[in-house]
Amino acid sequence: MSVITRSWLSFAAIGAGVIHLALVISSPLAVGIPLTVFGLAELTWGVLILVKDRLLVPRLAQAGALAPVLLWSLLTVTATLLAAPQIASSLRFVPMGIAALFELFIATILSVILRRRSSDGPAARAPKAPGAVRYLAAVIVAGVLVGGLTTPALAATQAGSVAMEHGGTMGGMMDMNMPGMGH
Amino acid sequence: MSKSPNRLLATVFGAVYLLVGLLGFTATSGIGFFDVKGGLLLGIFEVNVFHNVAHLLIGAALLIAGLSSIRASKSVNTTIGAAYLLLGIVGLFILNSAANILAINTADNVLHFGSAVILLGVGLGADKAVRAHAAA
Repeated sequence: MSVITRSWLSFAAIGAGVIHLALVISSPLAVGIPLTVFGLAELTWGVLILVKDRLLVPRLAQAGALAPVLLWSLLTVTATLLAAPQIASSLRFVPMGIAALFELFIATILSVILRRRSSDGPAARAPKAPGAVRYLAAVIVAGVLVGGLTTPALAATQAGSVAMEHGGTMGGMMDMNMPGMGH
Repeated sequence: MSKSPNRLLATVFGAVYLLVGLLGFTATSGIGFFDVKGGLLLGIFEVNVFHNVAHLLIGAALLIAGLSSIRASKSVNTTIGAAYLLLGIVGLFILNSAANILAINTADNVLHFGSAVILLGVGLGADKAVRAHAAA
């Protein structure tokens, strides 16, 4: 697998990890714990595949990339069937949708890599290292895409929107009408 | 230098950030050093004087490292990338608040997050073979 592919996988994992961690703040404990686990795992895996110079636990990573999408779908279907939107309301559509895009990208690329490995066998030659300019161009395109997608996703989390709507008022806390406080 | 992604990136980003830092002063006349409301650079990116100085320092650090060695550019790329990642996240929470001493807006956050991913990715992921080759 080329260093460009590994960089794209890493950036997508870091983007998904940061979004999942930002969603923890507004989530109930039962949703917040898996989100924390997914977010930390994605961030760690994303950094480690760059540092270690190889693809780590690809099958586990593939399952881990699909798990948040499946759980989100399950929660949404359950909330719809039970007519109880509060079950899935903490998982806002824009951040979860963008994180799902990153995860589906990771799962798809890993599927292609695993299929190639199984058909070529362990003796398959490593791809030739790309030139510096080609590598940088690929990394910059990925960085712009991930930055352009992750920032609106973070802004659409409750933490981000509260901070923007109530700037200068301690993140909205000072705007709250407190019962029994003379209002 | 053209064979090292880290040196190439540090040099190009360093030059761009220096240029952005200098251009920023054309958008900040009459704006205070730490003003939370800055001027718009290129009509998109909000900057104040402190933000311009930060761009100049970051640009200088990247350019010097890029022109020096692979090891220096790798370290500076990783460090500035990590700092930008932190700023990209913190920036979301300080928009429109008194803590926004860099006059950051949403376009700045996109740029900071994108820069963070690129600098961190190249700093952590590239030039391992070159370093091993040089050490051999």
